[in-house]
Amino acid sequence: MAPVLQHSIAGPACFVVPRRTIAIAAAATAPRSAAPRCNVASVAEPQAPPAGSPSLPTGSAVSSRRYPRSVALRTALSEPAKSGAKIGGRRHGAYVQEAALRDQAEASMSFVSASTPDLFLLDLASKLEDSIAQDGLANDPLARLREEATEATLSCHWPTNKDESYRFTDVKFLKQANINPVNVPSESSFDPASLNLPDSNGSRLVFVDGVLCKNLSSLEDVPEGVVIGSISSLPKEAVEEHVLPRLSGVARRSEGDVYACLNGVGARDLVVVIVPTGVKVPKPLYVLYYSAQGGPVGGPDSAFALSNPRLLVSVGKDAELDLVEDFTGAPQTLYWTNSVCEIDIAESGRVGHSYVQEQSLNAVHIRQTYVSQVTASTYKLVEAGFGGRLSRHNLSIQQLGPDTITEMSTFLLAGRKQLHDLHSKLVLDHPRGISRQLHKCIVSDSSGHAVFDGNVRVNRFAQQTDAGQLSRSLLLAPRATVNVKPNLQIIANDVKCSHGAAISDLEEDQLFYFRARGIDVQTARSALVFSFGAEVLQKLVGEGLRKRVENLVKSSLAAEGYIKPDLPVTI
Amino acid sequence: MAATGAVVSVTGVCWEACFQPQRNRRVSATKLQSSSADAVVGFSRKCRVEGATLMSSCSSAVKPSSSSVSSCSSKPQQHHGRRGRAFATMATMAESPVASELEKVGDVLLEVRGLCAVVEATGKEILRGVDLTVRQGEVHAIMGKNGSGKSTLSKVLVGHPDYLVTSGTATYKGENLFDKEPEERSHAGLFLSFQSPVEIPGVSNMDFLRMACNARRSSLGLPEFGPLEFYGFLSPKLAALNMDPSFLDRNVNEGFSGGEKKRNEILQLAVLEADMAILDEIDSGLDVDALRDVAAAVNGLRKSDNAVLMITHYQRLLDYIKPTYVHIMEAGRIVKTGDSSLALQLEAGGYEALKESA
Ligand SMILES: Nc1ncnc2c1ncn2[C@@H]1O[C@H](COP(=O)(O)OP(=O)(O)O)[C@@H](O)[C@H]1O
Ligand SMILES: [Mg+2]
Repeated sequence: MAPVLQHSIAGPACFVVPRRTIAIAAAATAPRSAAPRCNVASVAEPQAPPAGSPSLPTGSAVSSRRYPRSVALRTALSEPAKSGAKIGGRRHGAYVQEAALRDQAEASMSFVSASTPDLFLLDLASKLEDSIAQDGLANDPLARLREEATEATLSCHWPTNKDESYRFTDVKFLKQANINPVNVPSESSFDPASLNLPDSNGSRLVFVDGVLCKNLSSLEDVPEGVVIGSISSLPKEAVEEHVLPRLSGVARRSEGDVYACLNGVGARDLVVVIVPTGVKVPKPLYVLYYSAQGGPVGGPDSAFALSNPRLLVSVGKDAELDLVEDFTGAPQTLYWTNSVCEIDIAESGRVGHSYVQEQSLNAVHIRQTYVSQVTASTYKLVEAGFGGRLSRHNLSIQQLGPDTITEMSTFLLAGRKQLHDLHSKLVLDHPRGISRQLHKCIVSDSSGHAVFDGNVRVNRFAQQTDAGQLSRSLLLAPRATVNVKPNLQIIANDVKCSHGAAISDLEEDQLFYFRARGIDVQTARSALVFSFGAEVLQKLVGEGLRKRVENLVKSSLAAEGYIKPDLPVTI
Repeated sequence: MAATGAVVSVTGVCWEACFQPQRNRRVSATKLQSSSADAVVGFSRKCRVEGATLMSSCSSAVKPSSSSVSSCSSKPQQHHGRRGRAFATMATMAESPVASELEKVGDVLLEVRGLCAVVEATGKEILRGVDLTVRQGEVHAIMGKNGSGKSTLSKVLVGHPDYLVTSGTATYKGENLFDKEPEERSHAGLFLSFQSPVEIPGVSNMDFLRMACNARRSSLGLPEFGPLEFYGFLSPKLAALNMDPSFLDRNVNEGFSGGEKKRNEILQLAVLEADMAILDEIDSGLDVDALRDVAAAVNGLRKSDNAVLMITHYQRLLDYIKPTYVHIMEAGRIVKTGDSSLALQLEAGGYEALKESA
């Protein structure tokens, strides 16, 4: 008797919102649509703690040295700092004590008020600020960004599962771990041969621990007028025109997300790419993020090395750029890459964006992407996520003019003890936008977990929007977990929108098609598991990159026995 | 709230092992919470044909099947097709062919007797006693109204898991077809060109064709083709179908037009060099040129030892691929069999006219 196969299948959960029918829903939300601004304002307003709520426990104070030095921060902290006993030093025992106190403090006040400082967070921000100061970076062109980000950090708290956007994503372990900002990066501390440098002869930028590494970077075939480099090396006019406006408004763009703010506090470098009007960059620009520093895994010295890479891309009118971002790091070490990328696309501009995350399996990868699209511009993202213990991507796309095209194709593979989370948000405020989102994930282990929250908001003036959203998840192991929340919010009344979510087994009809052509079940299943991701991975830019990703997917799925090792299917 | 949102949270119990044969029934053990009323979550169908063993009684099957035999044997017609031999579609007839014609008659390739089948998920009976005998060298056409069960017959023959055979037999090259897994039927040379071929995103047509070709080759004990060798094997077949090589880089059927899908099915037929080709509406959705290409490719593949069973609504396909026999299917059985003139009669007067003449 063959063993009974157990499957978990649910799906398809599909529904289509036809034109016009959403008018009723639109009417129902109309008043709400006006509200958010007020809401934001009221959160920013300091609120007095309700009567009877515990005041900040004085015992929790940490050495004031560790708090960010900004004026706002000092004001906020003046009360507890005055009355608090000070625990100095950075010894392990002391740290544990601090952590316990901190947890206790937060447990009692996490919902008291949005303006109550989060001590763990402030401690972290303070460490980042210290490391910047130590490196003599305090007065560089990023000072303004840091100042604003520090202020924004004040109104944030470390997310818990009570926060809607972290409901399924546990970031508590980081709070219980040691986190140290990376030291001044030394380019000799690792072997450049260990990098996956691309085979192409296009340009490449290599970040090492959040700072552009000039020795490893090279620019080739870059058309005239294109500006690429660290902020400190850019011509003054370029900085004033393209960069400075982007160094403010951090708080607004982060929408209260603490990680974007922390990146602003801790960024040591800002790499800028400016493609002027009408220029089409012929070859993809490859950006590699390598985390070289990392603490040992386990033991009393275990600590995450935190780096904060930051990239700004500005593509002018009628200009085009293919951007490839690749994240990786030293294996068997603890590190946390907390990156931010901002992409502005002017009228009729086009950006093709490939994003591959292959961090080491103990790493934490948190990423914010902000995209703004002006009239008739195109943005196409292809994302592939494999590495990291925790991987979180907040993708936010704002439409600034009509007739835009937006495509998001993402594939996440969550294996043993991995959590992959994508929160995407597309806001359409202008007519005739076209958007297509395809999200796929495979969870291949019982301890694997994938989270997807895909929000597409079609506002009042976004008439004749054509928005499609589809999420498919494939659970390959018992108790594998996925939480998906595709959601379309439609306020305009003349739109064509569809979305669906399915948590499924392989498609029976597809499986049969293989078998009807003589292909055995085992090969057919392998091919279908592989193709599940390949549908997205095929869209990555660059043959070499696709091949590498193909091997990565094949080897990890084959190791777990989900595909045949010699499967003759390619991307 | 204007959001048409759904939260689907699943903690699933999945594959115990990945490579279990399809034969095993899966137990769905999914804990599913849907926090939104908008979410429609269904379970995908899990079923398969259970082989020829009688699972449930099929009382209606016996009568129609025997009546169709008798109607056929009571009106033996002289066949005017290219072989000019006795009308031998029904098994009863095939057993007593005219002696002088005996050597001209090919061996029986496929013999279906009293076949009844239901949709497994619903138990709805679709096939109610189909009888059909196909010999080497013959071309059979099945015509019939939409919903009469033509596609179901073809899918049951290749082992589609949506259907359960409740009674009857199908013998292919002397072996019980229902004993074989779908892939074994393919290896034995049985091929179905699907009415609506499924799209397989993420698998290139080239990889798919090569896997299929090599599966057949290794079942025949032949060495597998490497990518280059295979391309050499494939090129003339692509050319015969007037297909651009760029088809090979595209995902299987993804975004193909109706006509492109049909060409692609026939390309697969050519690659697999099947002995018994079942072509389900290969003419629907084709323009005149495409129909000519596809028909020419099918004719080019015909040999004295293979056979074609095609399902169609239109005479225009039969003008290109001349049928030895034409069958009319109605409500899950073959109610009338004749030569190509039957199709012309149908074209002229519709199904009503056929009924009157019967
Ligand atoms: N998988 C299935 N599930 C439910 N009903 C089916 C299925 N397959 C076929 N049917 C039903 O069986 C009948 C015959 O279908 P089909 O064989 O496709 O007819 P034809 O090809 O002659 O048009 C139809 O009523 C159809 O709806
Ligand atoms: Mg049909």
